[in-house]
Amino acid sequence: METSVINRLDKVVRKYPQKIILKDNTKALTFREFDETTKSIGTYLSNLVCAETPIAVMSGRHAYTPAFFLGVVRAGCFYAPIDADMPKARLNQILSVINAPILLTDKDHLKTAQELNFDGKIIVAEDILNTEIDENVLSCRASVITSVSPLYVIFTSGSTGKPKGVITSHLSLMTYIDSVAKVLNINENDILGNQSPLDYIAAIRDIYLPISFGAQTYIIPKNEFAIPTALFDTLNREKITTLCWSVAGVELPAKLNAFESGKPEYLKKLCFSGSVISNKYLKIWQEALPNVLYVNQYGPTEATASCTYYIIRDKVSENTVLPIGRPYENYKIILLNDDNTKTKTGQIGQICIGGPIVALGYYANEEISSASFIQNPLNKNYRETIYKTGDLGRFNENGDLEFHGRMDRQVKHLGHRIELGEIEETAKNIMGIDDCCAMYHKEKENLYLFYTGEASSKDIILSFRSVMPAFMVPRKIVKLDKLPVLPNGKTDMQILKQYFK
Amino acid sequence: MDELMQILEELRPDVDFENETSLIDNSILDSFDIVALVGELNDAFDIEIKPNNLIPENFNSAKAMMAMIEQLQDE
Repeated sequence: METSVINRLDKVVRKYPQKIILKDNTKALTFREFDETTKSIGTYLSNLVCAETPIAVMSGRHAYTPAFFLGVVRAGCFYAPIDADMPKARLNQILSVINAPILLTDKDHLKTAQELNFDGKIIVAEDILNTEIDENVLSCRASVITSVSPLYVIFTSGSTGKPKGVITSHLSLMTYIDSVAKVLNINENDILGNQSPLDYIAAIRDIYLPISFGAQTYIIPKNEFAIPTALFDTLNREKITTLCWSVAGVELPAKLNAFESGKPEYLKKLCFSGSVISNKYLKIWQEALPNVLYVNQYGPTEATASCTYYIIRDKVSENTVLPIGRPYENYKIILLNDDNTKTKTGQIGQICIGGPIVALGYYANEEISSASFIQNPLNKNYRETIYKTGDLGRFNENGDLEFHGRMDRQVKHLGHRIELGEIEETAKNIMGIDDCCAMYHKEKENLYLFYTGEASSKDIILSFRSVMPAFMVPRKIVKLDKLPVLPNGKTDMQILKQYFK
Repeated sequence: MDELMQILEELRPDVDFENETSLIDNSILDSFDIVALVGELNDAFDIEIKPNNLIPENFNSAKAMMAMIEQLQDE
């Protein structure tokens, strides 16, 4: 049995030494070059810190960055990737939680690193790439790692305002990667197009599918997402076969009518996650590329990226409710009522996740960890940790899980129970609404709809009235140029609250 | 030009549109800004920005955007 991603890296390098693993718009790394980079960094770090130490990594959007991550792992340590583009206050918060003795950065971000409140040692990765590799030290460090050792800590926003560092083990990561690879049928001929920031959970597929299966990842320059023709040119030039993108990324080319002037000719598989995709944009993809495998994924960082998947076989229409599907192999899903009892068949309950993919908790935060990672209340006989997602789900008659919004977004309005997610889904199917967010102003008992798009508030209200009971029609309709977004791409509801009058 | 500047400033009040000439090349405007901007410009100037207009040269500066808008209005 493999104990760590190091086993995988060693194996894949022996098999495909000359093959490209990572490429960006200026350089390409072979598996051997990638591996040697990890070993040099691993050797250097091994001389400075003990195994099982957190190392913060702040490096740009380029092919070497994943090699820096794995260099940390070679030293028997775990990495906390951070995005230099985030506000400094946020970076300082993250650094204070992870309390790493070393911040590994690249040349481009040295200045940013020096401006942070960081007491530890700042190391520029490019300066240590020529470190002579010490195989003895590295094999000693590799032997310290067990499959349940931390691999990385990825920070997500906490509802309290303080970022939470989700700790993922080698076992969890490998379990997820193998499960998703089976669904997408990933092999060494696949070329992935990376969209996600490299420090974000969604990038783990782009990093670890190559390490596990010999595939290649092309890191798409960020500004190409603003220029759909450039984006499609890149996908075609690099012969990209597989995209694992956020829903926001998938919707973009459809929103900008990119399919009028071209399409990704080599694309075979498209999986997406992060939020509920709008049927009208998915339909544009399906019509332009009918033979692509479309996979809708659901899952939180705390359960290693995605825990359920749904293969979309039929063309969607306006009224399609796209399920989030079935648990990936080695994932267990249970639905619980508020009183921790099992929900009846067909009922809505809180989605809880068990199995080897459950995270090791939030870094240095026992209090919040023990509130979210709990003993399975249905199991009185032995220890079984599950993660409570705070999301609501229901198994439909086909046995597929449906997503029913956030628990904390269920409101009681004029005596009726309303899911704000449902208001949003309704609004998104109205022509002329591009994006929206429904919110509830409890004090004034007002249902708000914030939206972007061309529709007029009159159109929206008339459409709502034709499909919804009166109590579910938003009373306040606010048109915005753009919905405010958090760094993770989700809507920033705190900013929207300022519109409450 | 004033109308364009107003739209741009409402979209991204944090950006110096008077002087910036690498809005796309330096990733100052992101893809979501462009989506919003395209809709706004189409409405405000009664034009239709097509995918082949969406190239960095047309969006790197306010001046370039204005030139594109004028060209599309002539068509």
